[in-house]
Amino acid sequence: MKSAPFEYVRPQNLHDVCQLLSDSAIDSRVIAGGQTLVPLMAMRLARPERLVDITHVDELADIVETEDTIRIGACVRQRSAERSPVIHQHLPLLSKALPNVGHQQTRNRGTIGGSICNADPTAEIVLTAVTLGATLNLQSINGPRSVCVTDFLVDAMETSIADNECLVSIDFPKTRTKNSGCGFVEVNARASDYAIVAAAVSLTLDERHEKCTHISACIGGASSVPVMTAETQNSLLGSELTDQEIEAAVSHAARQLTPMDDVHASGMYRKRVAAELLARAIREARDDCRSDRHAH
Amino acid sequence: MTHYVSKKRRPKEDGRFITGRGKFVADIKRPGMTHVAMVQSPVPSARLKSIDTSRALALPGVLDVITGEELAAHTRPHQNALDTPEVVVYPMAVDRVRFAGEWVAAVVATSRHIAEDAAELVDVDYELTDFVVDPEQAMLSHAPLVHEAHGSNILLSREFVWGPVDDDAKRSEHKIGFRVRWGRNATVPIETFGVVAQWDEGSGILDIWASIQMPSYAESIAAMLDIPLNTVRAHYDVDVGGSYGVKRGLKHTIVAAYLSRKHGVPVRYIEDRLENMTGGEMHGPDRIFDMTVAFDDDGTINSLGIVAIDDAGANSSRGPLQLGKPVSAICGPYRINSVYYHAISVATNKSGQSAVRGFGQSPTNVAIEACVDRVARFLNLDRLEVRRRNLVKKDEFPWRIPSGSSYDSGDYLAVVEKAVSLSELGTMGARVEQARSQGLLSGIGVVTTLEPGGGNSSFEPLLNPKNTTTTWPESCVVKMDRTGLITAMITTSTSGQGHQTLVATIIGEELRVDPDSIRVVHLDTLTGMPGNTPVASRMAIMLGGAASGAAGKLKTRLATIAAHALDTSPDQLELIEGGFRVAVTPAKSITFAELAIIAHREDHRMPANLEPGLQETFVMQVPTGGELPTPDGVVQMYPCYSFACHICRVEIDPATGKTHIPEYVIAHDCGTVINPDIVRGMVIGGAAHGIGAALYEKFEYNEDGQLLTGSFADYLIPSALEIPDIKLDEHCTPSPHTSHGQKGVGEGGYLGAPAAIACAVNDALVPLGLERWELPLRMGELADQIAGGQTLGNLLGP
Repeated sequence: MKSAPFEYVRPQNLHDVCQLLSDSAIDSRVIAGGQTLVPLMAMRLARPERLVDITHVDELADIVETEDTIRIGACVRQRSAERSPVIHQHLPLLSKALPNVGHQQTRNRGTIGGSICNADPTAEIVLTAVTLGATLNLQSINGPRSVCVTDFLVDAMETSIADNECLVSIDFPKTRTKNSGCGFVEVNARASDYAIVAAAVSLTLDERHEKCTHISACIGGASSVPVMTAETQNSLLGSELTDQEIEAAVSHAARQLTPMDDVHASGMYRKRVAAELLARAIREARDDCRSDRHAH
Repeated sequence: MTHYVSKKRRPKEDGRFITGRGKFVADIKRPGMTHVAMVQSPVPSARLKSIDTSRALALPGVLDVITGEELAAHTRPHQNALDTPEVVVYPMAVDRVRFAGEWVAAVVATSRHIAEDAAELVDVDYELTDFVVDPEQAMLSHAPLVHEAHGSNILLSREFVWGPVDDDAKRSEHKIGFRVRWGRNATVPIETFGVVAQWDEGSGILDIWASIQMPSYAESIAAMLDIPLNTVRAHYDVDVGGSYGVKRGLKHTIVAAYLSRKHGVPVRYIEDRLENMTGGEMHGPDRIFDMTVAFDDDGTINSLGIVAIDDAGANSSRGPLQLGKPVSAICGPYRINSVYYHAISVATNKSGQSAVRGFGQSPTNVAIEACVDRVARFLNLDRLEVRRRNLVKKDEFPWRIPSGSSYDSGDYLAVVEKAVSLSELGTMGARVEQARSQGLLSGIGVVTTLEPGGGNSSFEPLLNPKNTTTTWPESCVVKMDRTGLITAMITTSTSGQGHQTLVATIIGEELRVDPDSIRVVHLDTLTGMPGNTPVASRMAIMLGGAASGAAGKLKTRLATIAAHALDTSPDQLELIEGGFRVAVTPAKSITFAELAIIAHREDHRMPANLEPGLQETFVMQVPTGGELPTPDGVVQMYPCYSFACHICRVEIDPATGKTHIPEYVIAHDCGTVINPDIVRGMVIGGAAHGIGAALYEKFEYNEDGQLLTGSFADYLIPSALEIPDIKLDEHCTPSPHTSHGQKGVGEGGYLGAPAAIACAVNDALVPLGLERWELPLRMGELADQIAGGQTLGNLLGP
């Protein structure tokens, strides 16, 4: 488990990063926290000729609040995001998801942007980004580009990022209102393992906290990319989110999924459990919304 | 009344390890050391048409690339544990490969990086051949042969009939049969196997530093390299970072030693995780049990029938002998009158098998405990009550089982009552109901299991008539230096068992000396005395006994000198802290420091005819051993039998199949406890290991013969977050066979936990009318079974 030989560079600003990535003569890979890339390199499943380390680029490391969004720099550590009061206040779903990402030790190194660019079908951060409709801001020598996360994700472990592009930041729309709630549920064999299946839900109720006025319900781990459960969402809009309504609504969800068998669970397992976890996540979001946490 | 034994004292080893000052094989640095990486077969079975090493050899920094053919030309094959002379296995593949991951070539280079770079440049032409993965298919007559010359994939098939099996079956009121499966797992230490070998042309000595826990290591090296045994010096002062059976890198050592001798440089090979799991041949037992049990209306179990098919993988080394150890406790702790046992070892195109904690006893314990639960359920009796009725009673010891071994001592019912009390078993049913009311499945496991310890290895002649082993001695040397300080010497490495604490505590007890002042050092295989390393829960019994014996001899010698100096006779002396005094006139005393000066420097004060110096050796014989098996397979194997009762409750999410263990209690009896912290660590660690075997860990091969779980991403070891807060209670029934009444304890947790979890999960499944005796009980398969006919179609509705 020693990597193949590679060159290593550590630019100090985004301009230099883009310059380095624009050199098509050499196969460069961006490295941030390295929590996936380094093991892959150790097993020689990845063998870039050059690593461009972006962790010393200050402009990638900030969490910035604007009127409508929270902009998270690509190199913000997962653990920093987990502990960020701004994220806790405005992106409660991300706050709920992050403790499920690996172990605290890996979150100390792993970055938000790295997880999204890695595009693992089971990744909690990717699932959250899809659920919340995040926008990715990319930069290359040719200029900036913004893309919706659902367009960014192409397949398992595959994105539309160009060889010369670097992810700069991720814009998450603020979700916290006094009528909103969220739920995040995943199942894994051991605490901190990759999720086998995960479900993330963000929803809004009407002023009286009775009827659902918006719901975003998404399943990870059961297809090559996280899947928005459109039928489930549609059937719950305007409903009172009773357990029975939820139960009926999630029965549609599995139809969209194209899961794989692996050593941990069969595809059938993933389909069945995805529907169940989605129901649990919706109930959690509903209860979250109706709880008195908004009192303060 | 003891001074140090059984007292809560910090283990001697703790400070060194906690402050990061251990010395492991990766800490061994020799000038000019070179590094090995392996080329491994990507396919489970193939002829090696050609191996082209030219591109690899051309890489700067590469010293050599050797193939299995070259190695075989200069070494002898592995010794088979079974009587299978036509099964010829070398460290690296010769002519053909027999499992995916098998070593095909070894690269030695100036760094491990370069060695791995070069390994990728070795071009091997494989001609694929038929292979077999499933052990039952491997037994069929038309199956592809793993070892063609052997003529069959069956390495061992021996039937034993102990006691009146047929009569007992006839007279029994009921008989049931069912299948139990134990998945292929292992002990998987954080430290993989590693070795540094250095052939010294000047002295003619082969020095070996290795992460080793293996009997007859030097003997095997000498035999395979065809060199005199007294040229092999394996150093036992290397800390072993975890083992419980699997640190048996003989083939690794042969490769490193051969390369060192060939090139005159030190050679290091430390497996990486992938090499360890795919090619290290460290997988443990992989079993199918077909069980039959004959019993009466009152729950009395009269007879057991056990057909055990063990998938040995592609070698025939020590692994298959793991069918033998359970013969020594084949009835569990129960009064069972007769047993039929058919032990079958089958070769398949998978990694070869290694020893794992308990040496086959844990799978067997699961099968036996499953029988007891099945009997209780059949009769609608309480499972604990059935156990109580069948357990050997305390006034029945020594209790001889039909296969020939005698259980030394115990009070099983007393231990059970302690577990019942600690677990509040009486109200556990209410907690089960509470969990069920929340939509969970919940069940209780209550098991009673044995841990044989300190054996004579007579499962070797039992399963291989050409083997004549009837003892496994252990030694200790104790000396007092000129200042009166004590140093003890042992002939083994240590993989976390606390042997220094064990030896110092017992010598301290015998000589009234603070164990913290006693130095314990590890000899090497040239300077050492007879020993068989820490296997089979034997060190408290055997090394502890050797330390006690050597200290006792030293005490006698000291007393002789003291009596002479004090002008009295030895029997008038009383041992006090740091010396002796005359019992009737306590003012007359002499310290060890004074006696040490006399023995080393003052011949004029020495008794006549006593040799100078203060050193003694004791070689401990295995108690109760010494006899070969009878022709019908009856033999006394282990002197000591520890007992444990595990009680646990599980909760299972029926949708996800995820099992949670909110309650876990162990009451156990390992005789006299030498060091309470070490025993506690052994029991809890063993139970954690067993929970891994029960719920998570499996080396899974697909039908293409590929290992699917070759890294820690897929081979799941429970972390601290999966292991419950295990509550312990102890009972002490001293063994009559040991120095202080101690028994073995290194395996017991692992020998009870898989059975306890399996029984609890099956209890939880009862309301669904399901059962599952196939370990590990992984969430995916469990949930699929629970979902049963609930296909996606009816989940979705019309």
